[in-house]
Amino acid sequence: MSVAAPALPIPAIRIRPRMRSTELLLLALVSVALVAGASSLGATQRLLAARTAGETLASLDLSPPDPRGLAVYLTALFMVHLAFVLAGRRTDQVLLPTLAMLGGIGLLLMQRLPQDLVVQRWGDVALGLGQLQLGWLLIALLVIAALALAVRSDAWLRLYKYTWAAAGIALLLLTFVFGSEVNGARLTLSIGPLSGQPSELLKVILVVFLAGYLSENRTLLAEESTRIGPLRLPPIPYLAPMVAMWAIALGIVVVQRDLGAALLFFAVFLVLLYVATGRPAYVAGGLLLFVAGSWVLYNLFAHVQLRVDNWLDPWADPLGAGFQAIQALYAFGRGGLLGVGLGAGLPTIGGRLPVPAVHTDYPLAALGEELGLIGLLAILGLYLVLVIRGLRIAAAAQDDFRAILAAGLSLVVGVQAFIIAAGNLKLIPLTGITLPLISYGGSSLLANALVVGLLLALSDRGAEPPPPPRAPRRGLGRLRRGAA
Amino acid sequence: MTSSGPGRRPIGTTILRTGVALACAFAVLAGGAGWWQVVEAQRLATSPDNPVVIAAARRTLRGPIVDRDGRWLARSSRDANGEALREYRDPVVSHVVGYASRQFGTAGLERTYNPELLGLAGADPMGGLLDKFDPSPREPLGLRLTLDLRLQRAAVQALGRDRGAVVMLDPATGEILALASTPTYDASAIADPATAAATFERLRDDDAKPLLPRATLGRYVPGSVFKIVTLMAGLGGDAISPATTFPEQPDAEQDGLVVDGFPIRDGHHPQTGDRALDLVEATEVSCNLWFALAGLATGGERLVGEAEELGFGAAIPFDLPTAASRVNDGSGDAPGGFSGEVELASAAFGQGGTFVTPLQMALVAATVANDGVLMKPHLVSEVTGEGTGAGPVGPETWRRVLAADDAAVIQAAMREAVEGDLGRLFTSGAKGTGVPTAGKSGTAELGGSGEPHSWFIGYAGGQTPRIAIAVLVEQGGRGGERAAPLAGDLMARYFELYGRP
Repeated sequence: MSVAAPALPIPAIRIRPRMRSTELLLLALVSVALVAGASSLGATQRLLAARTAGETLASLDLSPPDPRGLAVYLTALFMVHLAFVLAGRRTDQVLLPTLAMLGGIGLLLMQRLPQDLVVQRWGDVALGLGQLQLGWLLIALLVIAALALAVRSDAWLRLYKYTWAAAGIALLLLTFVFGSEVNGARLTLSIGPLSGQPSELLKVILVVFLAGYLSENRTLLAEESTRIGPLRLPPIPYLAPMVAMWAIALGIVVVQRDLGAALLFFAVFLVLLYVATGRPAYVAGGLLLFVAGSWVLYNLFAHVQLRVDNWLDPWADPLGAGFQAIQALYAFGRGGLLGVGLGAGLPTIGGRLPVPAVHTDYPLAALGEELGLIGLLAILGLYLVLVIRGLRIAAAAQDDFRAILAAGLSLVVGVQAFIIAAGNLKLIPLTGITLPLISYGGSSLLANALVVGLLLALSDRGAEPPPPPRAPRRGLGRLRRGAA
Repeated sequence: MTSSGPGRRPIGTTILRTGVALACAFAVLAGGAGWWQVVEAQRLATSPDNPVVIAAARRTLRGPIVDRDGRWLARSSRDANGEALREYRDPVVSHVVGYASRQFGTAGLERTYNPELLGLAGADPMGGLLDKFDPSPREPLGLRLTLDLRLQRAAVQALGRDRGAVVMLDPATGEILALASTPTYDASAIADPATAAATFERLRDDDAKPLLPRATLGRYVPGSVFKIVTLMAGLGGDAISPATTFPEQPDAEQDGLVVDGFPIRDGHHPQTGDRALDLVEATEVSCNLWFALAGLATGGERLVGEAEELGFGAAIPFDLPTAASRVNDGSGDAPGGFSGEVELASAAFGQGGTFVTPLQMALVAATVANDGVLMKPHLVSEVTGEGTGAGPVGPETWRRVLAADDAAVIQAAMREAVEGDLGRLFTSGAKGTGVPTAGKSGTAELGGSGEPHSWFIGYAGGQTPRIAIAVLVEQGGRGGERAAPLAGDLMARYFELYGRP
């Protein structure tokens, strides 16, 4: 199988500007909101510092804590916007501002947390949490711009689905073998100075593969040709991927101890199966497999048991396993309806943060405390906007592949946000995945940038029409005829 | 949309449905956030191990706690380092007031009212709205109790070296005047960081369990004091009346009462001869067989139902944690959760699988005294100070448990049990007051050779009784000999302090 995709068709650049007034207006709103947030953060931080030192402030100083960082971020946003205008493509105008707001909230949070939470050194240069997050955000914006501007054909995604699947499995195996353990989970792959969490990239590859597989076999999967007692199943060979997917998810839990990724992959798989076939029976069957798998895992593996028990009653071990979950709930409680204000929350215990993983697993707890229920609902609303825009792109797509791809890309973000938010809010056991676009982390930001960039590209109504459908492979074709 | 094959659902429909499903999932998230940030916000934000509360506790001078006449019970000062130090006046109130310790957390009212005493109360979501614009910290609030330190001291002294409990309350208001448990402990030594660890360890390992608030969390076999509950159930269900006699009762005193093939035996009451006793006489001599028959006539379901009206079966809503009293362990198949008629008959005279707290039995006496109306017991009469959460706490009716005329029948019986010609022979010690007194003593047999628990419940005062009491002395012997005179002395002390009716 040839791995090399056909060269990205980059047409000759013709500057044909097209105004994007909705995007411009929304970006302006986002800028105002972020500047206001940063000002309030700066003022609060100075006020608290003065109170600790026993001084009183002469006047209210509203300058942001890192005005240059914020300026760079906002400038980058408008430059991406300008590039979109110049390119003249008719792509979605809501996705970029939504991402900008979520990313901006994440940036403010990272600037607000203790900067030594994460430090990267290159020789004499040491970058703290806020600066690193800014750097990743800029790279993410670059990725989005590149995808949204350059991708005009989906053939390179569509034609090589098994190559993508192979690449994904290879990535998974690499992590199994060479991954390093952090906090008891083997999720991090390091190559030289670079390290990342492959599961973030895997989720995009998974969606691409599923879009290819499901769009090709949609009709067959929706048929009922195998009957086992009262069960009406599609042809057995088409069930294999479902079982394989389930096995891979189990493998991720067992080998990588990554419950979050396993849950995300399996959920997205089931949802896309439903999108493609319209058969709720698949979802029901998948849920049965999920329940069975969960039960087995719970009984066999201590780390699964710990997560579940800790969810059911964190107060059983309030200073040990349950500490972080309880402290997160306290943070939500302190926040109340309106929040304590940016910079005024997260009281330290003996100089340490009460929620150590606040920048990765628990940003929602910090935001819930400082922005209150109102802020939390706004953030959840932003994710919903992102998903709904994505689903609109899917519904308007020209063929099944693009529809399933766009739906999958938007759902993978929505489901991930749901899983981690529900974990933070103690609605389900906590699984360590990131809050898309807000949590600290390069892998996470880049993977979600891929998602948004691809969605933007897919939203272009002027893009190339999809290639004609290929003839079904012979073996499956016979099967299909037999079933008909 | 691309062309669809025949019978194929258009993909747009499934995408729409998926979107709706995800929106619903996000609505659940919003609900979860609302739950923690609005409904549970106050409890979380003021939980004792919340870092904000811990930080506040080190700095803040907790509000004072005083008794009903303003005598201080707990107060705060600053030590040499400027950190808050809590001081308690008298060990006799330790089980009520509790302690606030940096190492061992809080107990008693110090725990229940921790947010108020620290000035964190009113952190409700709506109050928080205004609070954002007023960053000054709230003033710690204080507590004024319904407790009378003088009565409390008298109760602890009367119990002496015995383990036991005394509950005294105003039946008309539910105000608790004394809530004593012995042995008690020195709360100041737990609050002082220098002595806390050693004190706490010693108290925890003490076999007498001085940290256990027996009045509210101790559960005991009630013996004959439970017969008042049986009377309530029987009268309320019209299974018995003041004139009820059981012809088989005199013979059974000789041969035992055969229930389900199992003989229940009781001593003969020589004072009454071979008469079949009526309700008042049976109460006066505390005739187990009469009550066994009354319980069987009433039925298990009715008996347990009546007890639950009185507060059995669940923790009593109160300013302090309470243990749930129970008539039986609920495991049986017979009505009411009894294992059968034998257990029902035994429970009816207080020797079944019944366990009660002294507070619960005090409420039984108070309900009779208050003509059948059960008032909610409370210990705090006012949250003092200025700000959200401060204000008086008034009496609150819990519910009417039995009709006034049924209550009058029991009042007469309990009166005779203390003052009647027969009752006097057993329980005269309770009449120490010179005012009309009613009550019922109990001797809770524990099996084995140990001394029984000594019980008394009752009340005193003229037409409207002003003080109800429950006394329990662990292994104190017969109720009439230990608990009843003790109750009589304490009620006499009450009338000495508050004047006779």
